[in-house]
Amino acid sequence: MPTLEIENRVFEVDGDGFLSEPEIWTEEVGRLIAKFDGIEDMSEKHWSIVNIIRKNFEEKGMAPMIRTICKESGLRLREIYELFPLGPARGACRVAGLPKPDGCV
Amino acid sequence: MAKLSNDIAEKGLSVLKDKNNGKLIAHLNSCVHCGLCADSCIYYRSMPEAKFIPAKKVDLVSSIYRRYCTFSGRVFPGLVGARDLDEETIDEMVDLLFGACTMCGRCTVHCSIGVDISYLVRTGRTMLSNMGLVPKTLQSTIDSAITTGNNMAISDEEFVETLEWLGEDLQMEVDDDTAHIPLNQVGKDMLYTLNPREPKFFPLSISAMAKVFYAAGERWTLSTKMYDVTNYAYYSGNIGEAGVIAQRLYDEMEKLGAKKCILAECGHGSRAFRWEGPNYIRKPYPFEVLTSIELMADYIRTDKIKLDPGKNPDRVTLHDPCNLVRSGGILQEQRYILKKACLDFVEMNPHGNDNFCCGGGGGQLAMSEYNERRINIAKLKADQIIATGAKVVVTPCHNCVDQLTQINVTFKLGIQIKTVAEVVADAIVLNENENTSK
Repeated sequence: MPTLEIENRVFEVDGDGFLSEPEIWTEEVGRLIAKFDGIEDMSEKHWSIVNIIRKNFEEKGMAPMIRTICKESGLRLREIYELFPLGPARGACRVAGLPKPDGCV
Repeated sequence: MAKLSNDIAEKGLSVLKDKNNGKLIAHLNSCVHCGLCADSCIYYRSMPEAKFIPAKKVDLVSSIYRRYCTFSGRVFPGLVGARDLDEETIDEMVDLLFGACTMCGRCTVHCSIGVDISYLVRTGRTMLSNMGLVPKTLQSTIDSAITTGNNMAISDEEFVETLEWLGEDLQMEVDDDTAHIPLNQVGKDMLYTLNPREPKFFPLSISAMAKVFYAAGERWTLSTKMYDVTNYAYYSGNIGEAGVIAQRLYDEMEKLGAKKCILAECGHGSRAFRWEGPNYIRKPYPFEVLTSIELMADYIRTDKIKLDPGKNPDRVTLHDPCNLVRSGGILQEQRYILKKACLDFVEMNPHGNDNFCCGGGGGQLAMSEYNERRINIAKLKADQIIATGAKVVVTPCHNCVDQLTQINVTFKLGIQIKTVAEVVADAIVLNENENTSK
């Protein structure tokens, strides 16, 4: 099992760096993964996206549609791509501790 | 190491024992080990170990063929390099045929005698699929498509809400309250398809194509039942599952009575439905299938849409998706479009039929197991992009878009990645009186 080491903490992840056990996620874990991706400071906007994704995952077991993220956060589509340069899936969903979504992502 | 019973091995071997497949037998017996393919392969060029040479991958499959399907291999296996299909062999097959090949076909066009190497790799994948040995990340994407109708398991409700939301956006973009994205309409000229990653995460390309259709005055529709252009069973080599997915789009075309099926920008999806689909479902299509690239080029050529290249002033380069270009022959249309839609279009080196794969093809993006290799081989593409000095990389394939997005971040390129439709939509002039920005 591959691992991801950030600031002396070690996480079990899949080959793409998504958490193997989404239930171990805390805000601190999210902050560390974001840092690993080059997002040094998680802003309020970053957190609003991550919290929407996390809530959807806990309720429905999957990542929300981008429309849900835009609607609930009040952010524009392009802003989301700017906040998470790797995109909503490999960027935001990974910071939110979700398993990697299926498909071309 | 996976356990292998005789029953399971026999399921894999049945692929090689098919005496009716003349192409397979010819290609399995043809490699002369000249080694020219080595330098054509992005894996070998990035990680120069002998096991990554395409001919070695061919040999993996052909050595099993010799062992079970030829007289000399059955009697003197050691003398003819024939190999048992055992646990060690299948582990190597999974690792090299799934984990170290994007089936980009660059080796095939460089082969001194024309062996269809990517076809043989896929044949090896078919064997593994028959034995239930497809990497689980890849299989789960296929399972999603088969059980839910799209590879990201998007519900009908979520899909419709997303399209309505994008429809509102379109009205603002074109400043027309009657503009909309038509759903499930019968008797239209065109049924358009999507890659599920568009409604799920990256809808700018849907908005872009909707704007192109609006500007061209096209009679088109989307289907909420079957819109998925992808076919991941092409990657696993499971022809039965690939046929289930292709048949669904065929059925939807018949149900809605559309004249043409327009494929979204998707390399493997175009290959699987347009060029291989009739073989999967064993019947010809009574309708026309076109890629959206050909359609947009035609709109420009016939003046159905007008473009102002001044709206795309930055330097643009093009990444050629292997399945669309090297395999499908869609080579000039995207170049024609970019020259009309952008001020400064430059080619990568090499490009066109000799282009390097982005590294995300062949199902690699889905298979986390081989992520490290996928990033290693991507450096070739990063270097190609840097050499062009382009600010924007355009590619008519969502799978390539995702790999390029990761390349952009990993190698700190600072570029934008767009589909062809996005560039065209940005350049569209809706009102003849609009000031051009030259």
